Amino acid sequence: MLLAIDTSTGTSVAVVGRTGTLAERTSADTRGHAEVIGTFITEVLAEADVAPPALEGVAVGMGPGPFTGLRVGIAAARVFALGIDRPVLPVVSHDAVAYGRSERVLVVTDARRRELAWSRYAAPGADGLPVRVEGPALTPVAEFDTVTSVAGYVRIDAATIDAGLLGILALARRDAGLPPGPSAPVYLRAPDVTLAAPKKVTP
Amino acid sequence: MSWTLRPAAASDLDAIDALEHATFPSDAWSRDMLAIELAGEHTHYLVAVDDADAVLGYAGLLAPRGSGQGDIQTIAVAASARRRGIGAALLDALLAEARSRDAREVFLEVRADNPVAEALYASRGFERIAVRPAYYQPDGVDAVVMRRIVPGGRNEAPESANLHDSGPRRPLVLGIETSCDETGIGIVRGDEMLANVIASSMDEHARYGGVVPEIAARAHLEALAPAIEQALQEAGVALDELDAVAVTSGPGLAGALMVGVGAAKALAIATGAPFYAVNHLVGHVGADVLNHEPLVGDGGLELPTVALLVSGGHTSLLLVRDLTSDVELLGETIDDAAGEAFDKVARLLGLPYPGGPEIDRVAADGDPHAIRFPRGLTAAKDLERHRYDFSFSGLKTAVARHVEAAQAAGESVPVADVAASFREAVVDVLLTKALAACRDLGVPRLLLGGGVVANRRLRDAAVERCAAAGVALRIPPLRLCTDNGAMIASLAAQLIAAGHPPSRLDVGADSTLPVTVIQA
Repeated sequence: MLLAIDTSTGTSVAVVGRTGTLAERTSADTRGHAEVIGTFITEVLAEADVAPPALEGVAVGMGPGPFTGLRVGIAAARVFALGIDRPVLPVVSHDAVAYGRSERVLVVTDARRRELAWSRYAAPGADGLPVRVEGPALTPVAEFDTVTSVAGYVRIDAATIDAGLLGILALARRDAGLPPGPSAPVYLRAPDVTLAAPKKVTP
Repeated sequence: MSWTLRPAAASDLDAIDALEHATFPSDAWSRDMLAIELAGEHTHYLVAVDDADAVLGYAGLLAPRGSGQGDIQTIAVAASARRRGIGAALLDALLAEARSRDAREVFLEVRADNPVAEALYASRGFERIAVRPAYYQPDGVDAVVMRRIVPGGRNEAPESANLHDSGPRRPLVLGIETSCDETGIGIVRGDEMLANVIASSMDEHARYGGVVPEIAARAHLEALAPAIEQALQEAGVALDELDAVAVTSGPGLAGALMVGVGAAKALAIATGAPFYAVNHLVGHVGADVLNHEPLVGDGGLELPTVALLVSGGHTSLLLVRDLTSDVELLGETIDDAAGEAFDKVARLLGLPYPGGPEIDRVAADGDPHAIRFPRGLTAAKDLERHRYDFSFSGLKTAVARHVEAAQAAGESVPVADVAASFREAVVDVLLTKALAACRDLGVPRLLLGGGVVANRRLRDAAVERCAAAGVALRIPPLRLCTDNGAMIASLAAQLIAAGHPPSRLDVGADSTLPVTVIQA
């Protein structure tokens, strides 16, 4: 069993086992991640009737996502895993959306600032696991035609990432002996700063 | 070799029976009795298994739903698998089950000759309530009866007020501080500091001339888990020993605070420890409780005291009557924080970030009275409304004008004199207002805190002027003055000792948390 957390869009927390999702809480609110995360974790553990030490690890969506909220889930997952001395299983959040689809898909999420984050997936192989062939990447909304113009992909606009699917995917990948996802957050943007020129003064 | 927990099945009976007899050779339950226990309607049995599904341990709970009570029936771990946390994990899992069955009280019996087990139970909040003489036969060993009261779950506020003064006096608390550019993890036991790990992202901000919130928040995320591990190692404590997890919930940079709040909640839930969200500024005062070797001052913290907290993000004057229940904001900066003013003036003078040490360095050769820079909010009309408030933006502008005037006249800027005079203006207004508060309120005690206390001139002037005014001055060591996790743990430890219940798990980060909200 895993605890699974994704805060790349709204907040989604689940407990999953090899039989599927045992409990899940999801909020589409793109603010308030820090508020709900504790309650959601407590509730899914209680509903799934699982004590923290019984978990095998913590799956977490690494983004892409607007960074303030994204960090809340990653921080919670890393520290929860530390607290129970189990591994973190990172997953690119878009992979959870593509998981379970039999056709070729284009996963799209809001990246704010008039940009969209997207990833492209080939049809899955025999193991059913998503095969990301392009992305995750950022493209301005105004230029998004350049992304959608590639024929043959079913576009999925995901308002939330399902932590249950994300967790089941993490388990399936691990059971298949595949390497974990990226260990660093998928921010896709540099920190938002402009370098101010220091004022020149003769000493 | 790893292990996991799973519910016990009837097919585990052989393994459990064997383990029962190996563990309790003189008073093992019979196989029939074990079978009844495993199949019981009101029981919940777990086994710990290794990778090959071999049983390493088992434990059982009896808790009929609706009864409000539960009993830990047994916990056994194979001798070869002990000291790996399996017993504690089984216990925690049963306690979670008890909670889900709404058991308000959980009981157990432990052999009086098994102090290791009793210590484990005590760490989970079990207290001795009775001794049953010679309960374990044929050995004639006493049974210690222990009880754990579950006040609606450990992470929820207790419903009954009588729990308010039952907090441990010297609680073991891990504190997380991420309000600005310092990731601080501290561990305290009561008023004793066991670890104070600080990872700063200051170097990453240097090229921007000030703290960049997004860079600070990214750095917190990467620094947190390693800093927690380092602090635990330095303190020599294990996570399951913690009495509480504390975090700064504000004031500070919102995105930075959220990283700490999210992490602290997760750690509290993962370890079963209560969660305390506390005020950063009051934490600076809480640091002084750990201060047994002050830079200035002697004895312990005496209350009430006026506290002057000066950092890159804050300039606040507080009246602290009681650390856990009565803190009043007398005044604060209405524009830049003092530390921010140092950074901005350093930039005007072509000096690197952070500005405080640089201004200090060049001011050493300057005349502090060369230029009379303005003292913000000290004019009679300002004192009516802003008696204890501060303003540094006018001062910064005055410095800029002075520099520009010199350049326009084709003169070289007297950097040393400007730096010394600017610093003197900041120090003067800080201490004048702080001492006015001491005098007005009849409180002859002043505590300094915050990163700007690292400024030598501020400390020296504070010593002089407090002595002249008959005010007892306290300055904690610098490591406790700058932002750190120990101060947050310390404040929470004081709150716990004073009987304050944990914070709710749904409190968020509040970048403008008022100082009157000591615990969110």
